[in-house]
Amino acid sequence: MISRFERVSNYVIVIALTVGVLFPVAWFVLTSLSPNTSGALDFSNIAWSNFSAAWHDGNLAHSMYASLVITVSAVVGQTVLAIMSGYAFGVLGVVGERFLFPVILLGMMVSTEVIVIPLYYEFQRIGLTNSWLGLVIIQLGMGVPFGTYWMRATFRSLPRSVMDSAAVDGAGVWSTLWRILVPMARPAVLTLVLLSFMWTWNDFFLSLIFLGDPDKQTATVALGAFQGRHVLQVNLMAAGSLIVSLPVVALYLFFQREFISGVMAGAVKE
Amino acid sequence: MSVLAIGRTRARTRTVSRQARKRRWIGLLFLSPALLLYGVIVLVPLLQTVNYSFYKWDGVSEPTWVGLRNYLEFGRDPRMYAAFGHVLVLILMFGLIPLGLGLISAALLSRAKIRGEGIYRWFLFLPQVLTSVVVAIIWKRIYAPDGPLNSILRGIGLGHLTRNWLGDFTWALPSLGMIGVWGGFGFTMVLFLAGILAIPDELYEAARLDGSTRWQEFWLITLPSLRGQMAIALTLTITGALRTFDMVYITTQGGPGTATTTPALLLYQLAFVNPDVGRASATGVVLAVLCLGIAVGITRIMESKDR
Repeated sequence: MISRFERVSNYVIVIALTVGVLFPVAWFVLTSLSPNTSGALDFSNIAWSNFSAAWHDGNLAHSMYASLVITVSAVVGQTVLAIMSGYAFGVLGVVGERFLFPVILLGMMVSTEVIVIPLYYEFQRIGLTNSWLGLVIIQLGMGVPFGTYWMRATFRSLPRSVMDSAAVDGAGVWSTLWRILVPMARPAVLTLVLLSFMWTWNDFFLSLIFLGDPDKQTATVALGAFQGRHVLQVNLMAAGSLIVSLPVVALYLFFQREFISGVMAGAVKE
Repeated sequence: MSVLAIGRTRARTRTVSRQARKRRWIGLLFLSPALLLYGVIVLVPLLQTVNYSFYKWDGVSEPTWVGLRNYLEFGRDPRMYAAFGHVLVLILMFGLIPLGLGLISAALLSRAKIRGEGIYRWFLFLPQVLTSVVVAIIWKRIYAPDGPLNSILRGIGLGHLTRNWLGDFTWALPSLGMIGVWGGFGFTMVLFLAGILAIPDELYEAARLDGSTRWQEFWLITLPSLRGQMAIALTLTITGALRTFDMVYITTQGGPGTATTTPALLLYQLAFVNPDVGRASATGVVLAVLCLGIAVGITRIMESKDR
C-alpha cells in the first residue's frame, strides 16, 4: 500500500526534525568540552576540567544540594498527599464532593503568577522567605490539584472487587489503601513521582522569588546567576548547564515511556 | 414477600447507607491535609491578589485604596501594551506553528511504520524535559554574535544576514519565538501520533473505498479525530506563551528597550524589583482571566464541533 517513495520521505522528515531538535543541544555539549572560553569548538584537547571548574566556580555543590533537598521533600509530600486525596475521591467518597472536587480542579487552571504576590508578602511576614521549608510548602500546595486528579483516576480504574474482598478480610480503610491499592497502582504512582520531580527540579520562577539569599538558592537559579557572571566563559557555562540538567535527563533516560505518557496525560496541568 | 422480609431489607439498606456516609466522612479526613495546604497556598492567595489589585502599595508602607485605577491605567501604560502585544507574536510561534508542524509531520509519519520510532520520539521529546533555564542558556549561545547560527550563515555565504539576534529590535522577539517552536513541536507531534493511532482503521478503509484522496482523508478523518489533542496542545502552548518568563529573564531581560517584555516579566518587576504591588496584582488578575478565558474558549469551540 505504501510506496517506496513515501517510506523514504518519511525517514527524511523524521531525521530532519530530529536533527533540528538535537543540533542546538549537541552543539552545546561540544561547547562544554571545548577548552576555548569564547565558545568556539576546539577538539584538539577535550577539556573535561570544564565540569569541575563550573562545579566550583558556580558553587554548584551547594545549590544542587538545595535543589535535591527541596525536590525530594516536595516529591515525597506531594505523592503521599495525592495518594490520600485520590483515595478519598476515588474510593471512599467525600462529604461535599460535588463542591470540593471542582474547587480542587480549579487549581490546575490557576497559574503561579497569580498567587505568587500575596504568597511572597505573607511568607515574608511570617519569616518563611529564604527558607527551604517555605518553598517546599508552596510546592506541596500547588501539587495538590494535579496529584488528586491523577490518583483519583487511577484508583477508580482499579477493580472494585479487590477493595470489597479486602473489607471482607477485615482490612481497614488505612491498610486497604497502603497494603493493597498502592502496590496495585505502582505504575501510576511512579509516573506521578517522575513528573513532580521534573516540575520541582526545573522550577525557576518560585525559587528566584522565594530564595533571594545566594546561600539558599536552588541549582536553576544559581545557574542563571552563574551564566550572568560568566558571559565570557561560554564553555564553563555550558558545562554548568549540563550538570544542572543531569538529574532529570538521567531519569528521563530510564523512564522515557512513563515520562512521555505522563506528560501527555498531565497536559492539563501547567 | 412478607412484611418481615421487607422490614429486613430496609434495615439493611439503612445500615449500608449509614456505612457509606461514615466512609464519606473518613474520606474527608483523608482529604483534609491536601485540602488545607491547597487552601492556604492557592485559594486564599488567589482572593488576596484580587484584593491587592485595588490598592496602591509599595510593599512596605501603608497601602491606599485606589479602586479600579490599577486596571484603568492599563490602557495608558505603553509597557503593558507592548507586553501584551508581544504575547500575540509568541502565541503564534509557541502555539500555532508547532501545532501545524506537529499535525503535518504526524499525519505523514502515521502512514508507515518507522523503524526505531521510539528513539526519534525520545529525541523529539527531550526539550520538554530540559530545564527552561538550560534551554534559555543554550539558545542564548546559539544566537550570540559569535555563535553557531551566525557561523553557519557566514559559512554558507549568507554573511550579510548575520546579526546579534537577541540584541536586535526587530529580530529579538521572533528569535525568542523560535525557541518555542523548537521546544513545542516534538510534544505536539508525539501527542498527535498517539491520537492518530487511536483512530480505527475501518474509517480509513471506508474512505478509501469511497475513493477519497489522501488530502480528503486528512481533512475528513484525521483532523476531526484529533480535536481533543489539539485542544490540549493549544491550551497548553497559548497559556505557556502568555506566561513566558524564564526564557526572557535569562536571555534578554525584556530588552533591547522593551522589545521582548512579557506580562509575566512585568509582573515580576512590579511585584519584587520596583514594587508597585497593586499594579502587579492587577497584571496577575488580567493574565489569569485571559488564561482561563482561552482554556474555556478552546474547549467550547472544540466541543461545539462535536455536534
